[in-house]
Amino acid sequence: MNTDSVISVQKLQKRYADMEAVKGIDFEVQAGEVFGLLGPNGAGKTSTVEILEGLRPRSGGEARVLGFDPERQKQQLKDRIGVCLQATNLPAKIRVQEALDLFASFYTRSLSSEKLLHRLQLWDKRSAYYDTLSGGQKQRLALALALVNDPQVLFFDEPTTGLDPQIRLEIHSLIEEMRAENRTVVLTTHYIEEAERLCDRVAIIDEGKIVAMGTPRELQQKSRTQSHIQITCSEPVNQPLPPWPNAVDVALDESRRQLTAYSSRPAQTLFEIMRWMDQQNMQLEDVHLKKPTLEDVFVELTGKRLRD
Amino acid sequence: MKPYLALMKIDLKLALRLRMVIIFNYLFPLMFFFIYLAFMRVRQEPHRIYQVLAMVITMGVLGNGLFGAGMRAIQERETNILRRYKVTPITPAPLMVASMVTSWLIFMPYIIFVFVVSHYKYAMPWPSHLLEILVFISVGMVAFRGIGMVIASVANSMQEGQILVQICYVPMIFFSGATVPADVFPATMQFISNFIPATYLVRGIQNMLWQNQGLYAQRGLVGILLLAGILGATVAIKLFRWEKDEKIRTSAKLWVVAVLLPFLIFGIVKYQQQRKTTGQSNPGASKAEIKQVIRESSRS
Repeated sequence: MNTDSVISVQKLQKRYADMEAVKGIDFEVQAGEVFGLLGPNGAGKTSTVEILEGLRPRSGGEARVLGFDPERQKQQLKDRIGVCLQATNLPAKIRVQEALDLFASFYTRSLSSEKLLHRLQLWDKRSAYYDTLSGGQKQRLALALALVNDPQVLFFDEPTTGLDPQIRLEIHSLIEEMRAENRTVVLTTHYIEEAERLCDRVAIIDEGKIVAMGTPRELQQKSRTQSHIQITCSEPVNQPLPPWPNAVDVALDESRRQLTAYSSRPAQTLFEIMRWMDQQNMQLEDVHLKKPTLEDVFVELTGKRLRD
Repeated sequence: MKPYLALMKIDLKLALRLRMVIIFNYLFPLMFFFIYLAFMRVRQEPHRIYQVLAMVITMGVLGNGLFGAGMRAIQERETNILRRYKVTPITPAPLMVASMVTSWLIFMPYIIFVFVVSHYKYAMPWPSHLLEILVFISVGMVAFRGIGMVIASVANSMQEGQILVQICYVPMIFFSGATVPADVFPATMQFISNFIPATYLVRGIQNMLWQNQGLYAQRGLVGILLLAGILGATVAIKLFRWEKDEKIRTSAKLWVVAVLLPFLIFGIVKYQQQRKTTGQSNPGASKAEIKQVIRESSRS
């Protein structure tokens, strides 16, 4: 176990009756890191974070968060972490500021509710009843409640699910602010772009196991899936195609104007194709380069799509 | 202490913002109070005011405890409100204590109001031990909120909660003497009423109102009601569930019986005492006496 780790998980297991949701996973999260757990519904992400938050007992293995055992030192742990749950609610007739003041009273330390309201753009809504807030405002309040005790570690369980793109971007900015403040964030999501944009490291979970872990870039580079180059020429290509280095599966479509090539070294292959086209006096109309995404990596590793 | 006070403050604010709380804590009980006053012809027969007070106070305490504590806790669990509290460092105790204190604060003005109306409008003399009566009613509230909280802990859904609450509420209302005076019950019903928790509340209120007895004279009843309240709160904390997905085993529903156990034991003791005193079980009212009461009721 690394002594600098804020979160340390070893051979963690969780069983529900005869179903094994988490099958002996290991990972560590360092201070100030944004760590993503990526996987489809039912992969074991929520079970894992709920064990770390002290909400569920584990069936086996070891876990430590800020040096606390989440099962045996629940209260001390909960006092130091912030949690934004996937499905939660507040009483309909509680006002925004009242909710913040109430939750602040549960912790040994707390931030000023005024500051949080300004930060989460809820100041104008401070006197509004909870049931009059929009989905995005409710989620911002959930984030404010997660921050009310000035936590060192934050758990966000699918924080943007079901929200419109504008709110999603606001929440992304907030998580980036958390990282800038050197807080540790554990984020579960099934949005690829969220993980790619926000996470320093990602663990891909499937059927209770971690199938890959690393920075989004490392995972993409490790992928056997190759970059995909698509070139549209202004006129049909009638010349035979030469063997370009590193390019595989080179093909022309029926119109013979669109050329597709897969390559493990896309920059070099693109350069070779451009040079050949120039030699042939061919005009370029359009070019697309698509690198493998985390979704491609996931599909390659599990044979499933993330939203399955 | 901070979470207790904060929860009490917010519970009180929320309660006063909800129309349902006002309707069920003030409007309906007052409606019953005035209906009973008219039905029992209290203007013509002023002594009946005591019976009316015992009835409406018991009904209020039962409603407050079983529906107020029980159903509200289930609703908060079902709507994922308790789940939000679960991620904080608080335990179930402040939630339960705050709910109990708030309900007491909301319910007491109603009790005081019915006493004031009874005194000024129906010429009821102030009871000699009014403060002690209020203490006894408060003890009753603790007991029935304890039972309500246990029901909330063992019910897996609102529907199940409704059924369990009704199973407890209906017999308590009918067998305790809260709606029909227990003296007119036949022997079997009187025997059953010994095991009904609400009977102890009704008896205590009646003793203190009619016979001007003090709280000390009710120490047995206070003890059993307090014991039920403490048992209820302890079991409710032990079985407390924050999330609707955390289902409870069917066998755990037997904890409701455990909370009712003091009443069962006390009922047996009471029955034995009656047998010793009378040489037989209480014969209860005769058919003729019951017919007489029914005739009187229909006349009024």
